[in-house]
Amino acid sequence: MAGAAAVVLLAAAGAGAQERRYTVAFANLTEEPTVTLEGTGFTGRDLRESFALAARRLPVEMVFYDNERNNRRAVANAEAAVARRVDLYIQYHADAAANSIVADRLRAAGIRILAVNYPVADAPLYTADNLEAGRIAGDALGRFAARTWRGQAVEGVLVGSLTANGDRVSERARGVEEGLRRHRPGVRITALDTHGNPAQVGALLGKFLAARPAVKLLVGAMDDATALAVKNALEAAGRAADAAIVSHGLDHSVHGGVNDRKEIDPANRGSIVIGSVAFYLDRYGYEILPLALRMLRGEPVPPRTVTAHRLVTAANVFLEYPPSDMN
Amino acid sequence: MRLKSLLAAALIVVASSSAALAQSDCTKLVPPSPWGPNDQTGATNRVTAGVTKAAAAEIQEGKVVPMSYPLADGVPLFGTRFTKTILTATSLAPGASFGENQLTYMEDTWLSQSHVGTHLDGLGHIGRKDCYFNQIAMGKYINQNSITKLGLEHLKSFATRGVLIDAVKVYQAAGKLKSNSACTKPCLDKGTVITRADLEAGLKLYNVTLREGDIVIIHTGWGNLFEQYPKQNALFNSGEPGIGKDVANWLASQKIVAVGADTWAVEVIPGEDPKEAFIVHNILITDHGIHIIENVRTDLMADEAARTNRATFFFNMTVPRAVGLTGNFVGIDGIR
Repeated sequence: MAGAAAVVLLAAAGAGAQERRYTVAFANLTEEPTVTLEGTGFTGRDLRESFALAARRLPVEMVFYDNERNNRRAVANAEAAVARRVDLYIQYHADAAANSIVADRLRAAGIRILAVNYPVADAPLYTADNLEAGRIAGDALGRFAARTWRGQAVEGVLVGSLTANGDRVSERARGVEEGLRRHRPGVRITALDTHGNPAQVGALLGKFLAARPAVKLLVGAMDDATALAVKNALEAAGRAADAAIVSHGLDHSVHGGVNDRKEIDPANRGSIVIGSVAFYLDRYGYEILPLALRMLRGEPVPPRTVTAHRLVTAANVFLEYPPSDMN
Repeated sequence: MRLKSLLAAALIVVASSSAALAQSDCTKLVPPSPWGPNDQTGATNRVTAGVTKAAAAEIQEGKVVPMSYPLADGVPLFGTRFTKTILTATSLAPGASFGENQLTYMEDTWLSQSHVGTHLDGLGHIGRKDCYFNQIAMGKYINQNSITKLGLEHLKSFATRGVLIDAVKVYQAAGKLKSNSACTKPCLDKGTVITRADLEAGLKLYNVTLREGDIVIIHTGWGNLFEQYPKQNALFNSGEPGIGKDVANWLASQKIVAVGADTWAVEVIPGEDPKEAFIVHNILITDHGIHIIENVRTDLMADEAARTNRATFFFNMTVPRAVGLTGNFVGIDGIR
């Protein structure tokens, strides 16, 4: 097996025990700075950094590739990894045909594969669970309405890039509907599609609000940027008191350190942005590398591992993302 | 009947207030102090007369090496932290001097948080929930102005041996130094986890064995960014190289008094586990009463050690007996 020829180094970490070190490749979907991933505000750089940080205390040498959302590049990267004789290849690429070729190349070289968010042949898959994330958001909105607006007219609104291909945001939206209807089975839910442009929120929501002067709104925002745009639009329309928002992603635009004063912050508990369902793309490395190590050690791993999505609010944001700017 | 109701209500309020002050069972969250249930002193208990006398043997040339940074407006701080001085010099005005000898005077008002510049983290600085060193439920020992247990006034002397560990040299020797381009001298980059093996290599470099009562000072080179204030403040604060959990536990087992570094938290940032907050602080201060000294100027002592092939010195640090403070800026000299 070619993987067995990988460099064996003595581990300097820990208590000085000698341990096999592995070379693990991560081929990122894209590292283009402005491109966000999975319908969240996270970028490829966030993912890459999470692998670099997670690898610090593991017997792993990371090798990074950028698939550039390009099928040829994805295949070329896999070939480079074969030439480098990596032990395991983590593939994050959306195209099924390219993934199939990548799988063939790696398998021929005896290199194990772990897939991220998109299947690669029958390799173990680590993936976001958009449907479940949506359910968590819908459930939070439903609970809020039950606590706060009992007996009042309530409608649901889904806002975001609802028809985006590849991001599976539509699953997220379906989850919000399901979660909301657990609490309000007959609730009317309207979809407002921004087609990926949060700047559209003001116009879309303005019309919608004008037609519903006496209704309380439960807003499922598909991402954090959209949630902030919805909040601004509601404030501009003087309707902030009539709405509650839950978003998806929990990217750095909505939370930060003690001094950042972001929207989801323990000091901002009155915000109409109740919370955001965390997708933890900035922690993928911490979740995925332990799976990779188990595979490399010959231990069984489940065919599909999903992100443990969680609703993060002002009450738990510093538990989930401890700040380091103490003040 | 109404009086009874009022009394009952008052009892409920009193009972719930007490509960609010002591929320946690601290015996489950924090280990007891090895110096007994009333101990508020922690690791400086180790600085005995014998320890100080042995440390005095480090003074061989009388050379004093500064190990603290100037405390000035513009040094790296977080958020609303600040240092600001206001000078009172009214007696210098014409006709305002005193007596026939024309005495004049000046003094300062110093407005500042205590954890700024080169500073000591006291035992009241860091806890786990409301539980602090020696299982003290601090919720019961705070008022508007200060803490009423674990204040700096309880500390003993820091007159002991200092041991410099030059992590930069260790990384250079191992061929694994990845310096940050903003450092004008070699430095470990932020996020670098300094391991026990690194520290042991650093000790071996100068043939030092740690002994009980030592103060360990780690040179990472990151302090070079502090020296460039305010230009590199954002980068300096954005993270740092430092020790992780394994090293914290190992240092605790060595029965040291304090660990310092040329960084703002001594521990690696981003931390090893993104869901843990300043875990090394918890291990050292909360669990073991071992102090952390931040923003220590280490480069001069590192140079001195390299020049003389000796990395030990007499650690001379002034800590004000400031009642009820959780920490304070300090002046440190390494005397050789």
